[in-house]
Amino acid sequence: MNTPISVVLDNASEESDSQQRQRCVDGLSALLPAGLMLSSAEELKPYESDGLTAFRKTPLLVVLPETIEQVSAILKWAKTNQVPVVARGAGTGLSGGALPHEQGILLGMAKFTRILELNPEHGYARVQPGVRNLAISDAARPHGLYYAPDPSSQIACTIGGNVAENSGGVHCLKYGLTVHNVLEITVVTIDGEILKIGSSGQDCAGYDLLALMHGSEGMLAVTVEVLVKLLPEPPCTRLLMASFASVEDAGNAVGEVIAAGIIPAGLELMDSPAIVAAEAFAQCGYPTDAAALLLCELDGLEEEVTEQIENASNVFTRCNASKLHIAANEHERLLLWKGRKSAFPAVGRLAPDYYCIDGTIPRSQLSHVLKQMAIWSDEYKLPIANVFHAGDGNLHPLILFDSNIPGELQRTEELGSKILLLCVEVGGTVTGEHGVGVEKINEMCVQFDQDALLQFHAVKAAFDPQTLLNPGKAVPTLQRCAEFGAMHVHHGELPFPELERF
Amino acid sequence: MNTNDDTAALQQAVQQACDTSSAINIQGGGSKSFLGKGGAVSTVSTLNHTGIVNYEPTELVVSVRAGTLLSDLTKELAANGQLLPFEPPQHDGATIGGVLACGLSGPTRPFTGSARDYVLGVRMINGQAQHLRFGGDVMKNVAGYDVSRLQIGAYGSLGLLLDASMKVLPVPQYELTLVSTRASTDDYSYIGGLARRALPVTAAAMQGNIQYIRLSGTEIAVKSAAKQLEGDIDSDANAFWPGLRDQSLEFFNTSKTLWRISVAEYAPVLPLSGDWLYDWSGAQRWLCSDEAPEAIFAAAAAVGGHATRYGTDDTALRFQPLTGTAQRLQKRLRDSFDADRLFNPGQFHPEFDSDQEQKQEKTSS
Repeated sequence: MNTPISVVLDNASEESDSQQRQRCVDGLSALLPAGLMLSSAEELKPYESDGLTAFRKTPLLVVLPETIEQVSAILKWAKTNQVPVVARGAGTGLSGGALPHEQGILLGMAKFTRILELNPEHGYARVQPGVRNLAISDAARPHGLYYAPDPSSQIACTIGGNVAENSGGVHCLKYGLTVHNVLEITVVTIDGEILKIGSSGQDCAGYDLLALMHGSEGMLAVTVEVLVKLLPEPPCTRLLMASFASVEDAGNAVGEVIAAGIIPAGLELMDSPAIVAAEAFAQCGYPTDAAALLLCELDGLEEEVTEQIENASNVFTRCNASKLHIAANEHERLLLWKGRKSAFPAVGRLAPDYYCIDGTIPRSQLSHVLKQMAIWSDEYKLPIANVFHAGDGNLHPLILFDSNIPGELQRTEELGSKILLLCVEVGGTVTGEHGVGVEKINEMCVQFDQDALLQFHAVKAAFDPQTLLNPGKAVPTLQRCAEFGAMHVHHGELPFPELERF
Repeated sequence: MNTNDDTAALQQAVQQACDTSSAINIQGGGSKSFLGKGGAVSTVSTLNHTGIVNYEPTELVVSVRAGTLLSDLTKELAANGQLLPFEPPQHDGATIGGVLACGLSGPTRPFTGSARDYVLGVRMINGQAQHLRFGGDVMKNVAGYDVSRLQIGAYGSLGLLLDASMKVLPVPQYELTLVSTRASTDDYSYIGGLARRALPVTAAAMQGNIQYIRLSGTEIAVKSAAKQLEGDIDSDANAFWPGLRDQSLEFFNTSKTLWRISVAEYAPVLPLSGDWLYDWSGAQRWLCSDEAPEAIFAAAAAVGGHATRYGTDDTALRFQPLTGTAQRLQKRLRDSFDADRLFNPGQFHPEFDSDQEQKQEKTSS
């Protein structure tokens, strides 16, 4: 009985959408050369979501500028005409940060794909925002250099998106996040002004806007150029794998190795369900009888790595490791990593659906959090597999469920909520690396109180008082405080299934 | 170490400043008066807000109250074989709040990172006397804007820092200094390339034509690296680094004006008269000079850098003046935290506060 009403409403809004669309096309056509705009339904379709495909929206139109001046003209026009703008890189993000706005322009930076300058002598690369993360390291490698942050989607994700999300990777315990490896960015403000932030030196005058821009999810300005630092490739890299009969022992070993003064380049923990799934998927040689597994990578000068491998082995033995194994060669090292990197799709084969959670906790709370999760897992009768960036406390519990069983999705969401709440409770955060986007916007209400959220809005207003840049993302309004969310993967269909997910 | 939570009193002090629209200077140990002070009549001290809130060595994280003496914190970390990786200057009486507000990092900065790189979270009070918490005690955290790191080097102009959480690292097992003589006093090209060598270099400087390189790490790595680098091992030279870090070397004892000039390490020799000391592989250049501030700011800007004047004279410009969009935007950012200019008015980039001064003058006249 309600159907006719909603049809009428839909038609009304559709009509107004097409009028709005035409207004944008007309306005921007006067400013831009032909061929930079997409506005037909089939052209807009590929842009309706990013890596978080559970959320989809169709933008009014997609604009694909080719120059900084065009970006400036588009933003200036958008401001004058009060049209929202959502910037998008490769669209690999997992939190819906690049989800389009239905009354807005989707600003695709895909044509900014040039490495403008690579200077091996001074150790930097000046790149356009659409350059892929891995393409920088590929270009630097002949000079013995590389760009350190290595998010799992690095073959596809772009540096502009990395800045927007402050992307990490498995090596960030030792080499830092994007914010630690970018020297300077050029941005365009919503006023269309072009501004350099940071410098070619080690710091700059005024406030540290470079830090503020990192992880700001396209809410403050649009990044149009990035100057990244290149590091020398370590002469020697080796991987040590340790098996444990209990997760507590493995968690304890992580703390002990750090207490011994060793900072591994990567330190990853998997629990039994994750080990079994990864081994079945990748046949990489994991001990499927272990309750927990640590992958500990060490790099540096050869003498140093040899010594540290020995020290770390002693620590693990002392912490009741049941088995130690050092990758015999580069082939085996990469194979052992492959198992870890395919943990998500591997777990995806165990059940029709899974939820991925991205909380971070202080490492000392690992045992407590894992025990509590095991209790809840029994209580809810929903299995949980855990992969953990143990070095920096970033936990990815994967809750297995079947959305075809009535009520199970709801119970999974409830369990996910409990786990995230626990992360915050023990001093952690609701998102370690995937970003807030639209996905975790409600959880922000739990992590931050009203005054902190208001301060975030005030910061936003300093850059974009009309909230035209990526409106509705990252920071919730005070009215919006509801339940938690999490990444929902149906039948193992990961967005971008070809990409490794850590 | 004294432990006292003075949050309530500090918040009350800011609330009162708020209610009476009277500005305050935030002060810790007062050890960095050579970096200026605010133009307010009254001062709020953080010295009673002290102690370590949370320290779990295996987490590599310490949370500490702003008024804690840097020397106390350093001692506590050292007792657990750890340190603040950005090697902050240990000026006499310095507090951790002051070090972070001034964003100061030592000789290791180009190799292991800066103060802001190691900050994970802060608790602070903004210009509306609101008690705010940003970031946390964990290394990876992308929830909300990175307001924590924004506080570092903001000279208290965005708020009063209550506590900060920082990442800490193990004290290197072994350290040595290599000393050599370069052909000329301007030849800093060798230290400029060290960050591209996969070696455990943690500091590189040149005073006159004497070049200093510090190596830190495992004994085996440091000794191996020393063989691959220019210079002779000189154990007397180990004392050079604290002197450089704290600006207590004889070089800094000058009748001229001391400037810190921050540029790319590969920036050319700047056309300014005076005595130079190159730290940070050439990216941080200390200059004792009688040149006019305008000339120094212009020379730094010409190569994409910036200059800061050290010294207690508060009448002349201290920070590289910002202009155009950068100035407008940063001024609005200051507005968003401290619209009424309660904190340290006129100290950090007075151009952010100029309208307010005019407004106040108008009201009083």
